[in-house]
Amino acid sequence: MKHIIKIILALFIGFQVNQAVAQSDELVNVCALGIGNATYLKDYKVKLSASSVSPPSAKFNVIMNKGTMYKITVCNAEGYAGEAVVQLMENATLLGTNLKPDGTFVTAIGFQCQKTGMYSINLSFKDGKEGAAVAILSYVNM
Amino acid sequence: MRRRWYNLVFIGFASAALFLSACSGNSNKKISDDIEIPEEIFGDDKPLLISQEAMEDIIDNISSPVEMAALLKSTGVPFSQKLLASTNRIDKLNTNFKQALNLGVYGCDLGYLNMYEKTGSVINNMTAIKSLANELRIGQFFDFNTIKRLATNNENLDSLMYISVSSFNNMDEYLRQANRGNISSLIVTGMWVEGMYLATQVAKGAPEKEVVERIADQKLVLNDLILILKNYKSDANFADLVKEIERIKKAYDGVRITYEMGEPEAKEVDGMLIIVQNDKQHIDISDETLANIITVIEDVRNNIISL
Repeated sequence: MKHIIKIILALFIGFQVNQAVAQSDELVNVCALGIGNATYLKDYKVKLSASSVSPPSAKFNVIMNKGTMYKITVCNAEGYAGEAVVQLMENATLLGTNLKPDGTFVTAIGFQCQKTGMYSINLSFKDGKEGAAVAILSYVNM
Repeated sequence: MRRRWYNLVFIGFASAALFLSACSGNSNKKISDDIEIPEEIFGDDKPLLISQEAMEDIIDNISSPVEMAALLKSTGVPFSQKLLASTNRIDKLNTNFKQALNLGVYGCDLGYLNMYEKTGSVINNMTAIKSLANELRIGQFFDFNTIKRLATNNENLDSLMYISVSSFNNMDEYLRQANRGNISSLIVTGMWVEGMYLATQVAKGAPEKEVVERIADQKLVLNDLILILKNYKSDANFADLVKEIERIKKAYDGVRITYEMGEPEAKEVDGMLIIVQNDKQHIDISDETLANIITVIEDVRNNIISL
């Protein structure tokens, strides 16, 4: 009987995990629709737990090319309190963030790249709240 | 007897789990008609020279071929069908090594076709991609019917581009999670070489500054590419491929890249933060070096498509 319960539990957990994957893919699809006059390149999915002491973050490295205008669009998943904060970094230098000093957010970040090289996109949630989000990297059609 | 009964129950539930997993994913991830075999069987269990995490980082960093195609189009260079790899010799690609490399090549060509809105040729290219992806047991990531519909009806070309690119991204993510980084590294290499082939062939005819600079600054990617391929150099095919990419690297010896630092500026326009980088990148590449790069890339690419 124990074995059967374990199997049913495993099946249930597997199903829940798969639902979560499907939901994050759906969020990518929805978010990609809202990038405007830009072409999708990559997406970055994050789901982070709440922490007031040391808010967790996720870092994604990406090579960006000289002469290209990139756009980073963020979409938050429903059902979570966290609002995603995206930071575009070059090594340790912050180039820009979607979080304005007054605590509100810009709709997207545009980056006119003048130097081919490695940049990073850092994602966290405002005030260390639990959240799930997707960031879409695209290039702006000129 | 009792144990056998449990095994049967387990197999039954495992099959149900697979079925439910397939159904609950999005349309891009539906399970193929083929019998699924555990991916671990195909993974390379030899220790990696660099960590899995570092390797994923490198693979993620290699620029999308779509960007290269967009650059070519932006310079006003017309589309050229003859630049594309022939899709007639799919049957000759009879090993995973050949299939993965050429899947990358066709993937890059798909980006080029989409960029120039050559939807008629997308079907042929996509058929080749689907065939190779099925051979590599990753065909479930390509929603062929939707791509075919979008291409045939010439409708919503943005969606066509999005589905094409995201299919490759999802496939790549899956391969790495399934410990099949060797396949992933080959696809990325095939894509990169084909992208460079398209760019160098364009530069050969019309050496536009932007295209030549993009070719030159790919010097930054070469070391990473060699690093991920060397992970699998115990395989003779990989060892040969590393030699090929090292030939390209050698051709880049004459490229010099220097930087002038500046402070970035940021302003908000219509609710969007626009960051303008004021660093400057100077690229020094002689005609002779460019000609050499063009020749070597052409040679390496032709070797890949005639494997």
